[in-house]
Amino acid sequence: MELSEYETLSKYGVTLHLLTHDKIELLRTWRNHPKIQKRMEFREEITPEMQEKWFQKISTSGRDFYYIIEYQGKEIGCINIRDVDFEKGEGEPGIFIWDDDYLGTDVPTRASFCMGDFVWDVLKLKREVIHVLKDNKQAILYNKQKGFKLSPNQEDVYNQEYTLTAEDAAKKSKRIKAFLLKENNL
Amino acid sequence: MEINEFIENLADQFDDIDVASLTPTTVFKELEDWTSLVALSVIAMIDEEYDVLLKGEDIKNASTIEDLFNTVKSKQEE
Repeated sequence: MELSEYETLSKYGVTLHLLTHDKIELLRTWRNHPKIQKRMEFREEITPEMQEKWFQKISTSGRDFYYIIEYQGKEIGCINIRDVDFEKGEGEPGIFIWDDDYLGTDVPTRASFCMGDFVWDVLKLKREVIHVLKDNKQAILYNKQKGFKLSPNQEDVYNQEYTLTAEDAAKKSKRIKAFLLKENNL
Repeated sequence: MEINEFIENLADQFDDIDVASLTPTTVFKELEDWTSLVALSVIAMIDEEYDVLLKGEDIKNASTIEDLFNTVKSKQEE
């Protein structure tokens, strides 16, 4: 796979831009805000040095893909698939929406489907694995609606693991994907 | 186009919601089960059932189910 072909993913009304160095301060500002930080497992302040080190790691690993979500010309959040294990065929997706105007709207799911096509069709992963804090009810609900299932022996864990197989993702998204393809004349 | 039928169609977009708990004055985005996925599912349902293509802004600007119903109705009449 040649990543340069996938620097921009544009589909379903959103555009995803592969994270570049000039955006890492913007991302750091978003990530350090209490409204985003409180939903993350790592809640300490991220310094510019930590961010730089992190970017060097993710931009050279070949296993981490972070994109800025653009909708109608506005940068509204970040979506990613990280720690991809090509042998196991799995990786951990994540998304956060910085701009509150778009929370609870269709836009995050449009971004998620756009990223999903990259995950399933380009990276050809077999499953996505996520970790969600047990008290993040909204994220659990959203991910269950997408087809994620709680992994075995996770009931008493605080940062719980959920899994979504490619088959379940396709099954759950079939109707909405058909609508999106029609809406966007694809 | 009747509002009761619209409410039933809206309820179908949730995995588990009692349709009787929904009324025209329900602020749908405050429902516990409302998520971005449901929002997109509602847009798809409105396209399928009413042949109206809503934009994200239409969902964003509507507060109650009745607001959404009226938006769909006015777009049907355009």
